[in-house]
Amino acid sequence: MNAFMYLIKFSYRNLFRAPKRTLIMIISLSLGCGFIIWDLNFANSGSREIMKDFLKQYAGVYHITHAEYYDSKNKKEFNTYRTMTDDELEKKELIEQSTRRAVAPVFISGEKKTLGVLLTGLEVEKEKKLSTLYKAIKSGDFLNSTGSKEIILGKKFAQRIEAKLGDEVAVVGQALDGSVANDLFKVVGFLDFGGGDLEESLAFTQLSSAQEFLSLPPDRFHQRVSFDVETEGLPKLKQLGVTSWFDLIPEIGYSVQFIDNITWFACIIIVMVVSLGLSNTLMITFFEREQEFNSLNIIGAKTKWITFSLMIEVFIMGTVAILLGVLMGYLAVKYFYYHPINIELFTGGKPIIMGGMTIVPLVRFYALPQYFWQVPLMIYFFLSLTMIYPLIRVIRRSKNAI
Amino acid sequence: MQFELSHVEKIYTSSEENKVFGARDVSINIHEGDFLALVGPSGSGKTTILNLIAGLILPSSGSLKHGGKDITSLTLEERTKHRLDYMGFVFQDYQLLPILTAWENIEFPLQLKGFSKTEIKERVDWALNQVGLNKMGNRFPKQLSGGQQQRVSIARAIAGRPQLILADEPTANLDSKTAQEIIELFLKLNKDFNLTFIFSTHDQRLIDQVRTVLYVKDGQISEARTHHV
Repeated sequence: MNAFMYLIKFSYRNLFRAPKRTLIMIISLSLGCGFIIWDLNFANSGSREIMKDFLKQYAGVYHITHAEYYDSKNKKEFNTYRTMTDDELEKKELIEQSTRRAVAPVFISGEKKTLGVLLTGLEVEKEKKLSTLYKAIKSGDFLNSTGSKEIILGKKFAQRIEAKLGDEVAVVGQALDGSVANDLFKVVGFLDFGGGDLEESLAFTQLSSAQEFLSLPPDRFHQRVSFDVETEGLPKLKQLGVTSWFDLIPEIGYSVQFIDNITWFACIIIVMVVSLGLSNTLMITFFEREQEFNSLNIIGAKTKWITFSLMIEVFIMGTVAILLGVLMGYLAVKYFYYHPINIELFTGGKPIIMGGMTIVPLVRFYALPQYFWQVPLMIYFFLSLTMIYPLIRVIRRSKNAI
Repeated sequence: MQFELSHVEKIYTSSEENKVFGARDVSINIHEGDFLALVGPSGSGKTTILNLIAGLILPSSGSLKHGGKDITSLTLEERTKHRLDYMGFVFQDYQLLPILTAWENIEFPLQLKGFSKTEIKERVDWALNQVGLNKMGNRFPKQLSGGQQQRVSIARAIAGRPQLILADEPTANLDSKTAQEIIELFLKLNKDFNLTFIFSTHDQRLIDQVRTVLYVKDGQISEARTHHV
């Protein structure tokens, strides 16, 4: 047995010197590790599920548009004269998971008022298949795929212009041939997102009706909106522009980032608190053996050897605890994958309103691989810091004499 | 090889005015096969002299040599290695590692020395045999009596075949019968292998058996007696 293997054996044996104390240290560390992995996956899956729910309602994961459709600096601004066709789309497989939209700012006149709104022409059947927009129709119906000149208005918008189901409203806008576009549309439904701004600023009609209104040829449109929430990353296209939801609604993206970062911060605090407790226990454990360290030194063990043996002892304990913690974290994540948590448990039974939309998601846990090595590394780091002080104290206190 | 302390002084200073002599003008020559006891009341300086011989503490003045080599010029780590290479230790309270069996406790310094597996086995078995515990190697210290633990401690000290064994009050924690057995074991090892022993003790039975007795008082060797056992 070489010297290093003997050192490991010696350190391993020392873990059984006070087995109950070692067990408590391993349990506290592994519970901490497991909880942190669970918590980070919860935060990540929670924000991911909320975002998925949110994006599925209307916004989509990314928009494929003419390269100059969205303003390069401010994606809130767009140029309706920049249109596209499917012929320009080099990856035809993207057609399956996306839906076409034509968008234009218009004025809509009800009985007494005229107000501005963003009118979006939708591919009705595809939209029903890919998005959950149709679920937001709480009064009336969603658009009929075979119909034309139907319009859905936001609930608040309809109240403000005093439009009722079955009414005809006048829509006026800028056609893309330069003329003034105007037409009558029949109100078939009201959008109800549970409150929020979008109920005041959105209206929807059939894609063909929007194209006709805007004098757009049937093959031209503004956006292909993808709802592919599972695929990470954006497709790379040469001719067309691809804009992610993060760029389109950065305020929401930053909120999600903030939640993720604050969760990490909270986890670091948890590890620090556990480490402090561990440091205290290690100090007691080391001090109890002070006389023994002295005897070891007398019979020929160098200070370096004793220090290494203590470090390996803590390292073995930490590794066992981390392995257990990773396993516990993984099993917990798996459990909540099959038994998703209703987010209302954390909001007092109230739904979340985000970006003007109501969201009531079930949080299904997804195991993010990076957490399973980042958390152990973080714990190893703090564990190393934890043992420095007890080690220094015990070495300084050693009197090296009979 | 000769251990030589020449006009050694060890002064413990807590303040400029408050100096305590742990050892004062101590000169001792230790030869191979010596069986020597440092005798004196508590606080007389016996343990300080043992610590000086072991190189655990350095003298304030005077020289400390082993085979002509100046121990005081060695670094702390070099002195630790020096102890490992040339000395064995027997403690009053045995100081066995509770997590290791008797066999493994004896193995410990041999592992530090870097001996091969075969050599370690041979030496540990030999040492256990010398102290009469060859069937108790797999027992942990708590499964052994005080006398048996001290025997393991002696086996650990002799397994590396050191030139010098330093024993601090080795019989102080033992009953009369066991103490007598341990003394006889020391004598046997000294006779059979010409091992050099230095004890600090006030056990009269041990004092009666040693060839050289150095009486220590206030850090000084006040009297030296040599007799044939």
